[in-house]
Amino acid sequence: MSDTQNQNNRSQLKSAISSEVMIDLNKVNKWYGDFHVLKDIDLIVHKGERIVVCGPSGSGKSTLIRCINHLEEHQEGTIVVDGITLDKNLKNIDHIRTEVGMVFQSFNLFPHLSILENLTLGPVWVRKKPKAEAVETAMMYLERVKIPEQADKFPGQLSGGQQQRVAIARSLCMNPKIMLFDEPTSALDPEMIKEVLDVMVELAETGMTMIVVTHEMGFAKTIADRVIFMDEGDIVEENEPNAFFDNPQHERTKLFLSQIL
Amino acid sequence: MAIVTISTSNSRPPPINEATLIGWMRMHLFSSPLNSILTILTTYIIYLTVSGVWVWGVVDAIWIADTRRECFDINISGACWAGVSAWMENIFYGRYPREEIWRIDFGLFLLFLWMAPLWMPRVRGKVIIGMTTVFLYPFLAGYLFSGGDKGIFMSVMVSAAIVGIIANTLNATLGVLADRSLSNFVNNKLGFGNAPEEKQQKVFLIFLAVCFVLAYIWQSGWQAEIVSWTKWGGLFLTLVISGIGIASALPGGIILAMGRRSKLPVIRVLSTAFIELFRSVPLITVLFMATTMFPLFMPEGVVLNKLVQVIIAVCLFNACYMAETVRAGLQAIPKGQAEGAHTIGLGYWGTMGLIVMPQALKHMIPNIVGSFMGLLKDTTLVSIIGLFDILGMLRSISRDTPWLGLHKEPLVFGAMLFFIICFAMSKYSRHLEAKLSTGHKV
Ligand SMILES: Nc1ncnc2c1ncn2[C@@H]1O[C@H](COP(=O)(O)OP(=O)(O)OP(=O)(O)O)[C@@H](O)[C@H]1O
Ligand SMILES: [Mg+2]
Repeated sequence: MSDTQNQNNRSQLKSAISSEVMIDLNKVNKWYGDFHVLKDIDLIVHKGERIVVCGPSGSGKSTLIRCINHLEEHQEGTIVVDGITLDKNLKNIDHIRTEVGMVFQSFNLFPHLSILENLTLGPVWVRKKPKAEAVETAMMYLERVKIPEQADKFPGQLSGGQQQRVAIARSLCMNPKIMLFDEPTSALDPEMIKEVLDVMVELAETGMTMIVVTHEMGFAKTIADRVIFMDEGDIVEENEPNAFFDNPQHERTKLFLSQIL
Repeated sequence: MAIVTISTSNSRPPPINEATLIGWMRMHLFSSPLNSILTILTTYIIYLTVSGVWVWGVVDAIWIADTRRECFDINISGACWAGVSAWMENIFYGRYPREEIWRIDFGLFLLFLWMAPLWMPRVRGKVIIGMTTVFLYPFLAGYLFSGGDKGIFMSVMVSAAIVGIIANTLNATLGVLADRSLSNFVNNKLGFGNAPEEKQQKVFLIFLAVCFVLAYIWQSGWQAEIVSWTKWGGLFLTLVISGIGIASALPGGIILAMGRRSKLPVIRVLSTAFIELFRSVPLITVLFMATTMFPLFMPEGVVLNKLVQVIIAVCLFNACYMAETVRAGLQAIPKGQAEGAHTIGLGYWGTMGLIVMPQALKHMIPNIVGSFMGLLKDTTLVSIIGLFDILGMLRSISRDTPWLGLHKEPLVFGAMLFFIICFAMSKYSRHLEAKLSTGHKV
């Protein structure tokens, strides 16, 4: 497929949103000490839906998506993921984490394990799959992120873009229902950003439910079903991408967009 | 048209200064008049010391004599190594009965046999080998050294250790020769070669259980002669105490460090209190407490021997120091590592055991080996509370009638022994570090 065709296809990327609710945040509040990071957050994400979150630094974007797989604990409100309510029950938390993949700005690959071991660790130890099957799946995902030849190297020997693609593959090996991305391209050089975004677009095409914190607005326009703008712990504005970018309603959104576009 | 360089540029040796000996000396030793004077002066002092030691310890030394008197008669200014060599067996084995010494050598050989597979390529299950070295071997060796009635517990542990050493050796042989594990081999022989992994594991466990029963029956047929701990001594005793200390310090330290970082207040406070208590008291005090106060807390009738008390004290003391080393290592691992592990569904133990701890331990190798060396040297303190470890033995030479007053030579010999052991440990730690640095491994 040529590049232009590809581009066309992407702008038409339609998602098959079902009515099934994957994530349901209801009046979620969180404080760091006295600092109110998340204020009455309400958010419903359906199966297959792709959401882009943006907003100024410190507005609570990371905190929000980290609450969804309980890397951070919220203090008030309810979070329901895939029908399971997040509470103090460790079993629930562990279960939800196997269903929710997450990709970080800083990759967080395991430097003491080879790429292949990074990918098979979860399936073997958590999903209890036989080693051979896990290796097969891992290789399949490495092909999909286009670096099968790096399987036996260590993370420290890969470029940033390659590491981030490994991180995506590592999450996918767990066969998650939801993928969370926290500024996956912010630590990368421009030419690497594209290779990572390409992988993410392909992932979106498979119908994965995704929440992506990013400032890559072109990417947001291509894949997002909804764009959410956060500021000071609030969801200030929420709209489908074209309307969001062309016709922002809120003053703060306008200011933010004028700064980054 | 592009310009293409046909010939490659020749590589040149580095500038002459640093590369040759003369150049190096000129740069580092004789760069200015003052430096030249210092260099010559230092060289002279080194010459005086080394030649003095050389003449005393080698040129004028007496190697064969029956008493210190005889040494003096031959050459009064030389070292009397004859005394050390006459006591050699005592220095190594203490007062262990001479006809039973083979048991110590055999125990050492077993340790070697047990651990050698760890360094062999292609051998499977190295983690299990390492764990059994710490948790099974000590019982086998302990019984081998002390002998006597086994009792149920010792019988079980000795049988398990026998199965362990045999399985380990077979596994290593199969690994090196045929690149397969013992489990795989057994399963193939029994016809379960194509069974799923879990089934194979079960079959192998049953196989081990059968071996265990056989070993149990076999070991109940014999008994080693009892050797009281009071006869243990010399380098052997030093190695027993420090060996157990080393083997238990790391697991103990890991548990305590994890306790100190725990989210549960009770565990955290207890671990912290325990660690701080032991760290704030000198080892010699802990040793005295262990031998004099410990028995007071014991129920009536329980008689602990002094050696056991000392070993417990050494273990606890070193576990506490190790705990702080481990904690420092854990703190150096970025939070993102644990978060990465959580996102693929690993719980606390999986995250610790597979992700955080291996990385932390790798960073800590120099510190850990440093503590081990400290532990080995500190063990000589037990000679103060009346155990005849290597230092105790070396010092009693001077009280032996034929060698009355022979202080210097035994201590020099002891220093050399310690140097050799510690230097080897240090070298090995460097090697291990280089081997485990995955950042550059291809
Ligand atoms: N562990 C913490 N303790 C205290 N305050 C914190 C902590 N983590 C984050 N914060 C604060 O919470 C606020 C929101 O942080 P968050 O990381 O969610 O912002 P963000 O929107 O992701 O910003 P960025 O775009 O810079 O990543 C920030 O003001 C930050 O200083
Ligand atoms: Mg952030």
